Amino acid sequence: MMNRSRPGCDRESRMEAQTHPVESTEQKTWKFSDIIGDPLIGARWEKVRRYFFLRESTYDMTNRCNIRCDGCYYFEGDKQFAHENQNPADWRSLMKAEKARGITYVVLAGAEPSLVPELCRVCFEEMPLGAIASNGLRPIPESVHYRIHISVWGDDETSLRVRKAKDMLVRQIANYQDDPRAVFVYTFTRENIEQIHGVMEVLSRHGCKVTLNMFSSPVGYTGPLRHTPQSLARTRQTMVALISEYPENLLFSPYSAVAHTHIHGLHVLYSCSYPRMNRSTAIGLGRSFRQYRADLSWDRTAACCVPDTDCTDCRHYAAGSAVVTARLFRHASDPDTFRSWLDYVDTYLAVWVMGYERGENLCDHMVAPPGHDLPEG
Amino acid sequence: MGNPYEISKLTLRIAEIMIDELKLEDVTPETFDPDIDLIDEVGIDSMDLATIALVLRDEYGIVIDEDDYPKLNTIGRIAAYIQERMDEAKQG
Repeated sequence: MMNRSRPGCDRESRMEAQTHPVESTEQKTWKFSDIIGDPLIGARWEKVRRYFFLRESTYDMTNRCNIRCDGCYYFEGDKQFAHENQNPADWRSLMKAEKARGITYVVLAGAEPSLVPELCRVCFEEMPLGAIASNGLRPIPESVHYRIHISVWGDDETSLRVRKAKDMLVRQIANYQDDPRAVFVYTFTRENIEQIHGVMEVLSRHGCKVTLNMFSSPVGYTGPLRHTPQSLARTRQTMVALISEYPENLLFSPYSAVAHTHIHGLHVLYSCSYPRMNRSTAIGLGRSFRQYRADLSWDRTAACCVPDTDCTDCRHYAAGSAVVTARLFRHASDPDTFRSWLDYVDTYLAVWVMGYERGENLCDHMVAPPGHDLPEG
Repeated sequence: MGNPYEISKLTLRIAEIMIDELKLEDVTPETFDPDIDLIDEVGIDSMDLATIALVLRDEYGIVIDEDDYPKLNTIGRIAAYIQERMDEAKQG
């Protein structure tokens, strides 16, 4: 059996010595070696490829939540009826088994992992890389050194209406200000686009890191949060403005804005590689990804990062992190497209991996997804 | 289909690329078993294969379709795939 070391570590000096090819406005067929011959592109490529070893699965930790939000993914479908396994020994065995089958990264998600901190700790002890999706109302012990994604769905007035919880942002900030694990995830719905300005101002004043997400309808959902072509365009314009307004606090890129607000969802743009939409079990997510329910069972036919999402409307940040990233080959067509892909991957790693330091965006304008047009508006 | 000499040259070169790009240790192009399962036994995944596909695109001018990755689980199969594409290109 041959061994693998982390790729790329000894190549930076070679990259620096290479010259920058002259970019022409004419159509040209680019060699990959020419694209990464640009010192900035080459260095970023070497930086991100060290993380290609990440293999994720996701885990519902409870079937309870301390709030109930409109359009919540967890309380769609039958996963909400799974019996809750609260036995730490069972969770430890599961994590050991996951490690044995090659999983290197865990996402602890539904319904609310902060209600079972001891189980989160068991997961962390066995699997040191991961993230927790939380509403942020109960602090997770510092000993669980995962990224913590705190969901924000608008200002506190909107949160009270949609999530039936008072003073959410105030309480979330009180719990997670100055916590290096925390990334606040603002989900744009059709109704809260303009509210990001006030929310972002408050979060940046408190030094919080923020990333952006898109409401993606659960199966059958036709309510007022679902995006329209107009709201997608307005969201995109808002996202792009925020990137230049909050370079220190916002983890996002122009290409992230394109990928997540295009008139087409992620599946049409990039062919979703999660098992639910991908029959192949030979390689990649189709082979390794599992979505465990709170009773530790899993079902391949339902497995994706946010189960029970309407796949045609999926623009979820968690989905994009895997689906856009997986499409390395098709983005290596020209320097700008590849820069955009690198920005996307750099953003995703900063959002999901503790200790990963994000660089500046390499591409400052919007680039079309391979094989598609730039979205209008 | 290319002759055995060409295929074996191709196999050696792909092994060399794989060792270099993926920093494989304890193996040389000559000792790399062309039939070893890259996914099950070497631990290669889709991002690694995409990286190799880009280097092969540069070197041989052929595009490996993303849908074909699952079939390309040994160096021998990758070599045969490339040879087939190159033969097709020659025949016009």
